[in-house]
Amino acid sequence: MRALYTAATGMMAQELNVEVISNNIANMRTTGFKKQRAEFQDLMYQNLRRVGTTTSDQGTRLPAGLDIGAGVKVVSTPRIMNQGNITMTEKDLDIAIRGEGFFRVTLPDGRTAYTRAGSFERDDQGRIVTPEGYLLDPQITIPQNATGITINQAGQVSVTIFGQTQPTELGQIQLARFVNKNGLQPMGDNLYLETASSGTPQLSNPGLDGAGNLLQRQLETANVNAVTEISDLIAAQRAYSMNAKVVSAADEMLQSTANMLR
Amino acid sequence: MDNALLVGLSRQVALRRELDVIANNIANLNTTGFKGESVMFEQYLDPTARHEYFPGNDRRIAFVLDRATLQNFSQGPLQRTEAPLDVAIDGPGFFAVQTPNGERYTRAGNFHLNPQGQLVTNNGQPVLGNAGPIVFEPTDTNIAIAADGTVSATNAEGQVGERGKLRIVTFANPAQLTAQGDSLWSAPATMAPQLAQPTTRAIQGALEKSNVQAVKEMNRLLEVTRAYTSISNMQQRTDELRRRAIEKLAEV
Repeated sequence: MRALYTAATGMMAQELNVEVISNNIANMRTTGFKKQRAEFQDLMYQNLRRVGTTTSDQGTRLPAGLDIGAGVKVVSTPRIMNQGNITMTEKDLDIAIRGEGFFRVTLPDGRTAYTRAGSFERDDQGRIVTPEGYLLDPQITIPQNATGITINQAGQVSVTIFGQTQPTELGQIQLARFVNKNGLQPMGDNLYLETASSGTPQLSNPGLDGAGNLLQRQLETANVNAVTEISDLIAAQRAYSMNAKVVSAADEMLQSTANMLR
Repeated sequence: MDNALLVGLSRQVALRRELDVIANNIANLNTTGFKGESVMFEQYLDPTARHEYFPGNDRRIAFVLDRATLQNFSQGPLQRTEAPLDVAIDGPGFFAVQTPNGERYTRAGNFHLNPQGQLVTNNGQPVLGNAGPIVFEPTDTNIAIAADGTVSATNAEGQVGERGKLRIVTFANPAQLTAQGDSLWSAPATMAPQLAQPTTRAIQGALEKSNVQAVKEMNRLLEVTRAYTSISNMQQRTDELRRRAIEKLAEV
């Protein structure tokens, strides 16, 4: 009975849908998190009677065919790379991006990762690092006797050194842009890796080439909307139980067939 | 005597097919741009009923045949997603997609960009505009899709430029389109696509959900199961009748 397997594909798809939604809800308060969405497509169809077949020698044709579909599949779980809300944090090294760019981070193994989460810290040598201690690229070191860190919209980092009246410029934060942001591969820890489908990153200073501006002492919150996630969750759960009902209906029909023989 | 069994069998086969169709509809309850199907049944009259030994005229026997599956191309509900590359069609029409097997049509507007900056479907196939695939510059921001399908974007210098116009097409008879999975339909060579009426609008930041109505499908599911069971019962009765007849006749 085909319906059993068709309903099983439906249950599997909805199960994955619930997994994606629960990950979104779990990351509702994660800085710079971008929500995902499960996308579905119908599976192939079995043509039992082909539409347009000639039905007589007068040239009459079938107006509609007999096609039976085989269920559903999940094709992708792309990220929705919308801008998240910006919240004030009053912490010097919290930087939000308003726009399309990503911060570049050097991983311990030498690779470069990209992130939207701008909650940076200083390590023991005064370098700007992510909460995991990965270095921001290009590297910026804040001297020990510096006070008043200022990061302007264009990404220039400057500090006031004790005893000096003029601020000292320490470096320039760069942002990377991708043609296809959805093609980035998430690796956890709020980090993404470049892939063949994301395209190569284009580096530019903030404020140029659509890379976006930097906002100091602010953070970008997750772009998860609780209301839509919960309503999606309800829809997914209902769809799951309806597929389960189809399984039991098919089972019932098979059972009544089996009972015919005594 | 066999006729009752055979008529019942024809109905059961048809009901199983209908269950398959319902299962596919329910499995695609959350599939973007999916169109539900229903089965069309037809009476098949057997002109040569052999009931010579019954008094009165011959009765014709009606079998049931599942003739076709009809796709319901009615509008599905629109869901706002706010993603800039999500486009829903409000009204009759399809997006044209370029596939290795030729042009295909879809209602699923969850598009993406590929590394070359082309607008593509979930499977990476380019979405066609009036002048071929729609391509964006690497520095483009603020992609906007107007109601008539015009796609524009802001380039690095802050100038807004047109990047193409989505080709939204309709067909004289959508029932002749063949669903081929992956949310795509193919059109027969005899039916050429026409540009959609201006009343058909593209809506950016929204997706068309599946037009399957869960209540209706569950209702049909119930109906199919009950009909199937009652025919099974009828088959059992017929079988018993025949068994008794054989037993009694043997006693004589």
